[in-house]
Amino acid sequence: MKVLTLVMLLCYSFAFSSGDTTIHTNNWAVLVCTSRFWFNYRHMANTLSLYRTVKRLGIPDERIILMLADDMACNARNEYPAQVFNNENHKLNLYGDNVEVDYRGYEVTVENFLRVLTGRHENAVPRSKRLLSDEGSHILLYMTGHGGDEFLKFQDAEELQSHDLADAVKQMKEKRRFKELMIMVDTCQAATLFNQLQSPDVLAIGSSLKGENSYSHHLDSDVGVSVVDRFTYYTLAFFERLNIYDNASLNSLFRSYDPKLLMSTAYYRTDLYQPHLAEVPVTNFFGSVMETLHTDSVYKAFSSKTSNNKINSEMPLNQLSEHDELQKANIQNDELKTEKQKCPYTQMRVDLHKKLEKLENVDTVVNLGIAVMLLVVMVSSSLL
Amino acid sequence: MATEKRDKEEEEVKTDDGSLKIKPRPIVQLGIFLVAHSPVFSVVFSAAGVLALLILPLLAKNTYISENALMPGSARSMLSNRDVSDGSKLVKDIKNYRLNHEGQGVEVQKLIGKYMSEMGAEVYYQKFHPEGNQFHPLHFFSGPDSYTLLDNVSCASYGVNVAGIIRAPRGDGKESIVLVTPYDFINGGDYEALSLGITGTLFSLLARVTWLSKDIIWLVADSRYGDYRPVAAWLTEYHSPSFKDSDLLKCGELNTADKFRRAGTMAAALVLKVDGRSERFEDTLSIYAEASNGQMPNLDLINVVNYLAVHRQGFYVKVEKVVSLLSSSWLKIIGEIFEAVGKLAHTLNPDWNFGIPTADYLEGSATLASSLYSQALGIPTGPHGAFRDYQVDAITLKVSPRFPPDSKTRQHDFFLRGAKLLEGTIRSVNNLLEKFHQSFFLYLLTSPSKFISVGVYMIAFALLVASLPMVAASLYIDGCKALNNSTLNPAGNFKSWKWLDAAKQVFALHLFGLIVTLLPYFICQVPGQHSPSNRSIMWGTTSSSLLLITFATIPGCSPFSSRRHGTNWAVLKSVTISAAFIGLCLMSIINFATAEIGALLLVPTCLIVQPIKPALRSRRIKSLLGAFCSMVLLTIGFPVMLFAISKGLFGEGLVGLSLGGEFWTWLESLWAWKSATYLYIGMVHLPCWLLCLCILFHPS
Repeated sequence: MKVLTLVMLLCYSFAFSSGDTTIHTNNWAVLVCTSRFWFNYRHMANTLSLYRTVKRLGIPDERIILMLADDMACNARNEYPAQVFNNENHKLNLYGDNVEVDYRGYEVTVENFLRVLTGRHENAVPRSKRLLSDEGSHILLYMTGHGGDEFLKFQDAEELQSHDLADAVKQMKEKRRFKELMIMVDTCQAATLFNQLQSPDVLAIGSSLKGENSYSHHLDSDVGVSVVDRFTYYTLAFFERLNIYDNASLNSLFRSYDPKLLMSTAYYRTDLYQPHLAEVPVTNFFGSVMETLHTDSVYKAFSSKTSNNKINSEMPLNQLSEHDELQKANIQNDELKTEKQKCPYTQMRVDLHKKLEKLENVDTVVNLGIAVMLLVVMVSSSLL
Repeated sequence: MATEKRDKEEEEVKTDDGSLKIKPRPIVQLGIFLVAHSPVFSVVFSAAGVLALLILPLLAKNTYISENALMPGSARSMLSNRDVSDGSKLVKDIKNYRLNHEGQGVEVQKLIGKYMSEMGAEVYYQKFHPEGNQFHPLHFFSGPDSYTLLDNVSCASYGVNVAGIIRAPRGDGKESIVLVTPYDFINGGDYEALSLGITGTLFSLLARVTWLSKDIIWLVADSRYGDYRPVAAWLTEYHSPSFKDSDLLKCGELNTADKFRRAGTMAAALVLKVDGRSERFEDTLSIYAEASNGQMPNLDLINVVNYLAVHRQGFYVKVEKVVSLLSSSWLKIIGEIFEAVGKLAHTLNPDWNFGIPTADYLEGSATLASSLYSQALGIPTGPHGAFRDYQVDAITLKVSPRFPPDSKTRQHDFFLRGAKLLEGTIRSVNNLLEKFHQSFFLYLLTSPSKFISVGVYMIAFALLVASLPMVAASLYIDGCKALNNSTLNPAGNFKSWKWLDAAKQVFALHLFGLIVTLLPYFICQVPGQHSPSNRSIMWGTTSSSLLLITFATIPGCSPFSSRRHGTNWAVLKSVTISAAFIGLCLMSIINFATAEIGALLLVPTCLIVQPIKPALRSRRIKSLLGAFCSMVLLTIGFPVMLFAISKGLFGEGLVGLSLGGEFWTWLESLWAWKSATYLYIGMVHLPCWLLCLCILFHPS
């Protein structure tokens, strides 16, 4: 019994101590338009606009999962065949070259959506349709369609409930499929969709509160339909001013929403998300901005990093051991790390590097830890 | 189960006890209470029913577009002056040709066909036989026109329709929208040609747009033989192709064999007519929606047209109304009372805003009456009725321009606005993904933008007929008591069969009603040409002799038999009322408006009628008044009388003595359109009226 609990403890420690400390290595985006039918043209335009924006800000196509429930570009009612616009000035064709739609038409179902998030696919599903994120990923999840109190309608046939979403996010967290997740929803009563979320490191923003509608921005009288929703329109307006090198924070994005222009109140939920929004650049989610780090040798940084992880992971076990001092040092080290792991990114990297240099006796710490662990195991098994 | 058992046990215990009575359930108690006080409640319910009908204009709601996909007016019109000049040219060409040529040829059709094919449409001509509908008793409720395959057709008279199809450039070809312009190629006036101009303008545009998802069919119906027939013939051929070569195809110089083309299922159809000059300052658009048997197109179609016409193109939109009601003083008084009550209610509670001005009330009532009347008649109000037989939503738009037909400058503007209205409607319907289904199918209009839904107008009818079962039950109880008192014979143990004699009589008269209903079919088979009045006389004499035979052969049936052991009048009345109740309820399912108007006549008659002899004998004012009322109601209730009165009401004065002939013609039109109202008159109204007559002259 005790062995079992111990093993579980071990796993537990592995699972939780590593997530927070891994560094942000890649960006993913899951962009979902859930509604069919010609009169929902704007939802597809919303999604395609965001697709274009995140692509422009550096997320490559293979890391974007684009789900479009209907094909407006080729709809017979479209006056501009094979083109989609999000503005009546028709300056920007969103459906130009290089649009890779991963899930289209009737493939966009709640089941497929949850499969994408949780990574449980049939064997035959190609890699391009999978969200292959890891514990270093920042994921942007954008959804638009028709929603209500704690649900989002898919395809006019089924709905995703807030419980489903929270459950999927929880699974993702447990499977270490993301480091940070940002959920952006543009539907009526969007805020209610986040009610059941519990997992840490999740930032959620919705276009409207409970009981509020999200409205379309304007009508294109040539196409004959509304082409963009207000929330998305003003989000895009914010991003149009940015380029890949800009350092605008999430806070400035969230402040840019004016309830008068939106005709609804944008809601953001930050209680699950530790960093200060003012210090997080929007490109953490909407772009893919990676700092390259120069290392002296190819493998050194990597090996030291893994060893450091190991120490951390074994900390709960070593709590009663004789290496108290070392541990304290380690913990301090950790704190330092988490403190520094903020906006001035390079600075943190340099600090970390220095710390690692200082730690000479890394290997002995590891060896001792393993020895103690074995001892404990033996004692407990003999007691059984 | 368990509780039920316990209830039973309790009941048994109580009955065993003897002193305690079983307490019936509340619903039973309520029923007993209602039956016991049936005279009061019947008056209250009937009055409430009539009041509910009068109050309907106040309860009308504003129409709204309930289908999201329609989005009327959200797209900018793409009509250009080029399109209008195309349409104007077509009208000019037709007029010129008609001026220079006289005769029966199909040149005008070819002219239109040429115009269509120049626009890039697929064109074809269809010949049809102007054979009208004929009464056949077995064809009621059967599929439309199952008898059109006539073998021996003559080439003497036939019509030629022209139709053009624009295929949607990127559509799937499974659906279509139909535009119909009836045009008399021989005698058509200048106004009629304008409808071709509007549609021609629109067709020119639709041939080049990229947003079509449904094919467009433009049918120019040859209205030489009426508006309805060519459309019906075209629809029949569209839906049930005949694989046998008809002789008709070879008539004339135009060979139309193997040319008939189709598009997909019809999503909607618009019939456009231009007639007369508008009496108002604006161009007037009248909407006709009633199809056979009171069927209506989906309210959304009317809403879209109304919205675009009022808010985009500035037409004055109207629906039919009974003009004579507008000036009726009694309705005005009622309207004033409602207005005063509404104002009073508003002062009591500012949230109560049900009062409307008297003028609005009068308008609403006049429109409502017309709506009820057209639905009750069961005759379609235009060629759109033919589409309803195939479950296609269709309306007729009758446009009256405010200028004389030869004004060139105004014509351009008129074409532009008419075509824009149609373009907007078509673009809305084009956006549809499914059939019209979101909005109402059962409704009455009180103005082009106000309607009363089925849930509201059913109340009036329900209140009217609610008193019938109550009175029937109470009369049955009374009748049984009376019988028991009068005949103390050993046969009294067949107590529960008292109603059988009365039921026999009721059944016999209903059978008689059925035969009278079917008689016209045989009268039509009588060789030789007969005028309608002759036929009606034939019908009348055969019916009355049949009635005499019925009275003579079936014992106890005649009201004039003086036998004492004839049926008790109370039981007879009870069964009559039950039969009327069943008949009315059945009719309300088939055609609500007929049932409503029928109930207004039949319910008071059935409730008030009493044997006249005891009333005369007693010489009391009350019973004399009752007898007088029943006499009046019965006189009005006779179908022919009713027809005459309604003619007078609608201001179409009678033509002398030919009442019988006119009545016959009217009935002929009813059965030609397969109106269930005809069946109702023959099989519910007439027998019940006769039974009431029997009760009136009952020898008791």
